[in-house]
Amino acid sequence: MMLTRRSASTAFTAPRAASPTRSRRRPALILGVLLLAVPLAAMTDLAAGRALAVGELWQALTGGAVDPIAHHLVWHVRLPRVLVALGAGASLGLAGLILQAALRNPLAAPEVTGVTPGAVLGAVAATGAGLANWASPAVVVVAAVVGGCGGAGLLWLLTARARDPDSMAVHGVLVSAALGGLTAVILLAVPGELGSFVQWMVGTTEARTWEHWTLLWPWALCWGVVACLTASPLMLLRCGERVAEAAGLVPARARGFALLCAVALTAGAVASVGALGFVGLVVPHAALALLGADLRITLPGAALGGAVAVCGADAAAQLISRAVTAWGAEHLSVPVGAVTTCVGAAVLLFVARRHAVEP
Amino acid sequence: MSELIGHSDTTTTSTGAAVLDIDRVSFGYPGQRVLDKTSLRVETGELIALVGLNGCGKSTLLRLAAGVLRPESGRVSVDGADMARTSRRAAARKVALLHQSAPAVPGLTVRQMVRQGRYAARGPLGMLRVGDDAVTVRAMLDVGVEQWADRPVETLSGGERQRVRLALALAQDTPVLLLDEPTTYLDLRHQLEVLQLVARLREERRLTVLMVLHDLNLAARFAERLVALRDGRVAADGPPDSVVTSELLREVFGIEGRVGRDPERGWPVCYPDRSTPLDIENRFHYH
Repeated sequence: MMLTRRSASTAFTAPRAASPTRSRRRPALILGVLLLAVPLAAMTDLAAGRALAVGELWQALTGGAVDPIAHHLVWHVRLPRVLVALGAGASLGLAGLILQAALRNPLAAPEVTGVTPGAVLGAVAATGAGLANWASPAVVVVAAVVGGCGGAGLLWLLTARARDPDSMAVHGVLVSAALGGLTAVILLAVPGELGSFVQWMVGTTEARTWEHWTLLWPWALCWGVVACLTASPLMLLRCGERVAEAAGLVPARARGFALLCAVALTAGAVASVGALGFVGLVVPHAALALLGADLRITLPGAALGGAVAVCGADAAAQLISRAVTAWGAEHLSVPVGAVTTCVGAAVLLFVARRHAVEP
Repeated sequence: MSELIGHSDTTTTSTGAAVLDIDRVSFGYPGQRVLDKTSLRVETGELIALVGLNGCGKSTLLRLAAGVLRPESGRVSVDGADMARTSRRAAARKVALLHQSAPAVPGLTVRQMVRQGRYAARGPLGMLRVGDDAVTVRAMLDVGVEQWADRPVETLSGGERQRVRLALALAQDTPVLLLDEPTTYLDLRHQLEVLQLVARLREERRLTVLMVLHDLNLAARFAERLVALRDGRVAADGPPDSVVTSELLREVFGIEGRVGRDPERGWPVCYPDRSTPLDIENRFHYH
């Protein structure tokens, strides 16, 4: 009896026990692959736009002889666009993973914590009030960051009585719905700006300038580094309140700080590209599945994954726009937010169905 | 095995012994008094089993002893140091607390989970270093889960999972170990395994152990001292021989029963007959 149990258990664990290092090295390997995928996605995105052949793009990038229009297109239209997409994607991926870990809720995402709708409301309000337009991104960015922090602050006040993960998740949905409603009110009040409003709500990388990038990267880099350093407290938070406090963490304080990081990252991302759907929800799931539960690796992984996802989606959006235009339709730009939302929803549906069959 | 040890460093600290002193501690939640001037002193290397009905304040007492909750009045100290003046992290270096249950964390491996016990010793940035320290490895070896080190905890059975959680507490490398129903959900074989393990570690490291147990027979078998709580007060305290009596069953547990002896070892054994109408819970919850 004893013997059969022993042999059965060794037989089962033997293949794993034989190569403990390989299974532990796998996440590092995947992280390396993701690191390589970032420039690849960036190059694809650069090449995906209209009106420029790959050869011309290469010449413009390497400083070869090229006509000034191509040079301008590459250096002042496409490059900032690609960089902003990378930065925003990394921020959203990171923010989503932090939220899911800190709130212990696999469905937590920037969209349902008041940050994204708050930032959209801020940007839309600033545009609607005539304070800002596409030529002055700084004002819009500041308004979006203020709005995002305001949305999160509202959630913080509403959950003052009990800041447990469940209560925050429920109130987050409510706050987001309310802020979305306010945005709709402004939308109806100032119908002239409808086009730019919709771009904020869907999320787009069109017409990003170097100004967007210089506003985004220091913010995203600072908070990104800080966020990655919270990996250990976040892992303990994932283990549950009781385990975390017994192991020496003050859960409420750690969760508050983690949420602050997530809010800052989300606000920065939404301020520069609008409310890109599903990135902050799907990318963390993929990162956890691929890289495992060790957040010291998975947090940077989610940042890289988010960058690749948004950049890839942007490339896809541009290719779709080209295809549609070639089909004979009028000039049409598919926003990247449409692609991330459709793909994200499809991925989520797939995952949900698979889990329904095999829990 | 050498593979595991290969990653270790020399941060092993010999677990120092300590006295846990709970002195006239009161605690309650709104509208509910849980503990009323409860005192309990656990000497160095002692193993005490805490028994009592559900909701009598056992778990609250453990959380107060761990410094997770602060008493309204009274004092909890470990080796004379007041836990109310100790930071959460410093407290976790003195006292480890194993809760009844913990939520599953998808994808977390045994090694990753046990390493969480090192948080208090290393701090958040110290946790960023690669590899295990010697204490993590020792904790996995202690409870015999090292062969599953790289398997997700969720793929293990209930008994194995409980051992992993015990390893997490052991990885805190504290002189005081508090266990809240460490045998919940375990079959008889695994209950014995866990309690034998605790008894062995207590002997080897002179750990001060206070554990909540529901099974009076197991408590009488493993503890050298039994403390029974009723209405948040100590109703009985002493060696199992003198504590486990039919009066205890009536007064503390509200049941009629008989107490016999293990024919070979002489431990007290309970034979419960029936529950009696009891006003304990009502009196206890609302006043």
